[in-house]
Amino acid sequence: MNASLMTLEICVMALGTVLMLADFWLPDERKKFAGYAAVAALTGLLVISFSGCGACSLGGSAFNGMFVQDGLAIFFKRFFIVAAILVLFMAVEFSDRIAGGVSEYYSLIVFALSGMLFAASANDFTMLFVAIELITITFYILTSFQRGRLVSLEAGVKYLILGALSSSFMVFGIALVWGTTGKLNFNELAAVAAQFETSKIFLFGVLFILVGLGFKIAAFPFQIWAPDVYQGAPTPTTAFLAVGSKAAGFVLLLRVLFTAVPTVTAHWMNLLIVISAITILYGNLCALPQRNLKRLLGYSSIAHAGYLLLGVAALSASGQSALLYYLAGYLFTVIAAFTVICLVTRHLDNDDVSALAGLNQRSPLLASTMTLAMASLAGIPPLAGFFGKFLLLKAVLEQGAVNPGYYCLAFTALAGVVISFYYYFGVIRAIYWSKNVVDVSPIQLSGPIKVAVCICIAGMFWLGIFPTTALDMANEAAKVFGK
Amino acid sequence: MKYEILPWIILFLPLLATAVITLFTLRCRTKSSLISISAVVTGFVLTIVFIAVNGWHPVASETAVNWLSIGDLHADFGLKLDALSMMMMLIVTGVGGAIHIYSYSYMDEDAGKARFFAFMSLFTFSMLGIVMSNNFLMMFIFWELVGVSSYLLIGFWFEKPSAGDAAKKAFITNRLGDFGFLLGILMVWGILGSLNFSTLQSSIVANPAALGTMATIAGLLVFCGAMGKSAQFPLHVWLPDAMEGPTPVSALIHAATMVAAGVYMLCRTLFLFNADALHVIAYIGGFTALLAALMAVQQNDIKRIIAYSTLSQLGYMVMAVGLNGPTPAMFHLTTHAFFKALLFLSAGSVIIGMHHEQDIWQMGNLRKKMPLTFWTFLIGALALSGIPPFSGFYSKDSILAQCLEEKNYLLFGVAVFVAGLTAFYTFRLFFVVFFGKEKSDYAKHAHESPLVMTLPLVALAVFAAIGGFIGIANNYGSQFVAEHETLSLAQQVLEPLHAPVAMLIGIGVALAGIFLAFSLYKNAGTDPLPAKLGGLATAMKNKFYLDEIYEATVIRLHDLIATICDMIDRWIVEGACIGFVRGGTDLTGRALRLVQTGNLQTYAFLFVLGVALVLYFVLGK
Repeated sequence: MNASLMTLEICVMALGTVLMLADFWLPDERKKFAGYAAVAALTGLLVISFSGCGACSLGGSAFNGMFVQDGLAIFFKRFFIVAAILVLFMAVEFSDRIAGGVSEYYSLIVFALSGMLFAASANDFTMLFVAIELITITFYILTSFQRGRLVSLEAGVKYLILGALSSSFMVFGIALVWGTTGKLNFNELAAVAAQFETSKIFLFGVLFILVGLGFKIAAFPFQIWAPDVYQGAPTPTTAFLAVGSKAAGFVLLLRVLFTAVPTVTAHWMNLLIVISAITILYGNLCALPQRNLKRLLGYSSIAHAGYLLLGVAALSASGQSALLYYLAGYLFTVIAAFTVICLVTRHLDNDDVSALAGLNQRSPLLASTMTLAMASLAGIPPLAGFFGKFLLLKAVLEQGAVNPGYYCLAFTALAGVVISFYYYFGVIRAIYWSKNVVDVSPIQLSGPIKVAVCICIAGMFWLGIFPTTALDMANEAAKVFGK
Repeated sequence: MKYEILPWIILFLPLLATAVITLFTLRCRTKSSLISISAVVTGFVLTIVFIAVNGWHPVASETAVNWLSIGDLHADFGLKLDALSMMMMLIVTGVGGAIHIYSYSYMDEDAGKARFFAFMSLFTFSMLGIVMSNNFLMMFIFWELVGVSSYLLIGFWFEKPSAGDAAKKAFITNRLGDFGFLLGILMVWGILGSLNFSTLQSSIVANPAALGTMATIAGLLVFCGAMGKSAQFPLHVWLPDAMEGPTPVSALIHAATMVAAGVYMLCRTLFLFNADALHVIAYIGGFTALLAALMAVQQNDIKRIIAYSTLSQLGYMVMAVGLNGPTPAMFHLTTHAFFKALLFLSAGSVIIGMHHEQDIWQMGNLRKKMPLTFWTFLIGALALSGIPPFSGFYSKDSILAQCLEEKNYLLFGVAVFVAGLTAFYTFRLFFVVFFGKEKSDYAKHAHESPLVMTLPLVALAVFAAIGGFIGIANNYGSQFVAEHETLSLAQQVLEPLHAPVAMLIGIGVALAGIFLAFSLYKNAGTDPLPAKLGGLATAMKNKFYLDEIYEATVIRLHDLIATICDMIDRWIVEGACIGFVRGGTDLTGRALRLVQTGNLQTYAFLFVLGVALVLYFVLGK
């Protein structure tokens, strides 16, 4: 066993514990610093992950192959750490809206992060289940953290019950797979999966596992929870849910589909195409009449799950690397949007689109950040969202010769993009061209949050204009499935 | 080629002036005008320096930088410097310079003086671009730039609706011609695979049938461009209206340089045209010359008379090109630039003296009040009428001689008749304005213009007088004729004697025209001609109703098509197609939203239903 491979996870766990303990000694007015300390520590870990030393070198596995450290794992671990850092910046800004236990909020984010790190390395159904539950259970708490607000509690309960439902399907599925094949490790399962292709019980099992993962990424028909939970949860939680939890779902989905049961996946081309197409349409269509910002982004996140599924449905290396690239752009874009929402609605009860009215006068930085984020989500060059969508569509069209359904899928995705312009630009219109601007008081921004916002903007432009570096990383990570 | 940088400087100085004026000195009238004037005058001096160093035929006549390469298309941004282009550069910067200086005083009371000079510099840049470019693509770009600056200058007094309309008319009419021009360029490129003039010329010289059956069509399409810019029938309608611009603009753009661009382009690309195409060109030129001269006889606005005479003279030039005579055409273009600029500027001087009154029947007896303008106008009028030894005589005579040489007696007859008409309407104008009685109060109190305005007049008058024998024809001859012999000064003076028939007939009709004008208008208070000619005079006065015919046919048809397109767009595209899709999408969104009830039991039910759906999709078959 090679426990040193898990250095990142162990450090993150320790950081979470320290943060929780710090709550006892830190006076209330100093609690902000706990958040910044966590940011600093995670930044350190991010640097280490890029240094390529010991724990972060490629290759190697631990716990009898349950835990692997490959290109994909490293890619996602960096991704999750960056997401957590940006979310923590937001959480510090949000702390005055949390009744008690601010340090706990930070530490729960860090614990959720550790679950995501494990998910990135999971190579075994047991590991998969543990990692997912670690993430999901922390999110139950994070969602209902604003104990004084009924919507927050309601969201927590809904997430808990539906999450439990999906987990039960998943664990049942794992049991069925193990019962038929006797294997839990992905690599070992891949070796025997071909024999069970016709076994309905085995396929039942795999499908139930996919149901659980589909719930995590909010893909049709398991998307039903997303809008309510996104709307009710505290904004930093929503952001982390939209980015971290969804990405964890995707890394596991990729591992299960392409490492554990690749031969089965090849038969499910049509299933993936249909799910991807409906998810895109559902998210975009439902977002059209939305006036609540967070709910709107909830639907938008469903639509983006659909776009990301394009990369899965393509069943090709270029599709997988496009998916990874798109996730990277999505990270900066979505966190930028939620940061703006978090700052603008500080003194407001609702998250209505009208809250943005006159933002260009109140804070030009936030107004342009929101505009860029919406433009990137809509896929306007030169921002990250454009290049990501381009790569995904390219990957899908490349497969058009295999199955004409891919052309329909690409067309559906384009139609979805066109529909989405309406509501994304509705947000931009609310910022700049609102008729009745009530509040024009300037919004004060703290130094750190400006840094976070600027990182997001830089990330959107960097990925959109100089895609080479990130694309190389994504290609490197996607090589895992080529073996 | 020595000092290769000079042509680039000459070309880009006016653009720099435009940029500086627009960006920095728009509020300062004097500074702006001086910047613009110095740009064009420096260009003139540098051109002379360049010619002095390199002669009229530099060894390597092209200098280019690669501008873009797409597949097989390599477009250069290149300059061609030979006798043809350098003569044109001298005209643009020289005549242009005189007009710039004149404008300094003419535009003095105008609030938009700085803007005016910015536009003038932009025009100078564009015009230099046309004459210097070494390929079709670049020429087309500058061609359009000239169109834009002409539009800006015609509409300079945009607060007058007539100026705005005239600017639009000029721009749109030119667009029609440019459409053909562009098609022609594309056709030439498609067949011969190059846009560079030298490359095209050598490939056509190597294989005269290179253009194949498309030769005539390609030639006529390219000629369309010239038809627009040089205002040939039937696209001539914009030029008289363009007189709505300030008078220096009329002088520079709509008499001396821009309208000559079409003729210049024909001469530059003469190798493209086969005999059939040239035939068409010659007859269109001849017809335009005749039509415009007839219209000029019954106009009463001093600038419009000169404008119609410009049309008529352009017809001459185009006809000469069509008769295989690029040398006479360019010769006439050059002398015309001198004497027509002179006539316009003198007319401008009269207009200023008359407090912006332009009707010749309000003037009279101005020779006493404006002696200098009187003399310069007289020189211009004599040159235009083709009286020896003024410049116009030599160039017009060479065109008449060219008609005889080509044995085209019909066009020779037309040319002779137009020469007589030209002398007649020019001196009709001259006698009515400068002789007889003062016909209004303004005429009684007219005054001579300031020195800044009269000095350019004198300079132009000198060239209008001697331009016929100072070697201009030599330069063009060396460009177009392989074994050209350079003539001495005396030989040039006596050159018309080589074709005595043309010379004698030309002088004869010109004198007859002047005599007729003298007898009719010496002391006339009103125009006696309508009574004598009746309906013909009315038709002439109304420009043969061409504007009305266009209004009833082309513009009506255009409006009809536009209305139909508008209906289709509004009701079918916007209403049915887009409305249906948009409304449908919106409705679906609203309906789907109802699924999200917020009720947990419903959600759980839908979740399990989803699971069942997926299972059925995969395993149910």
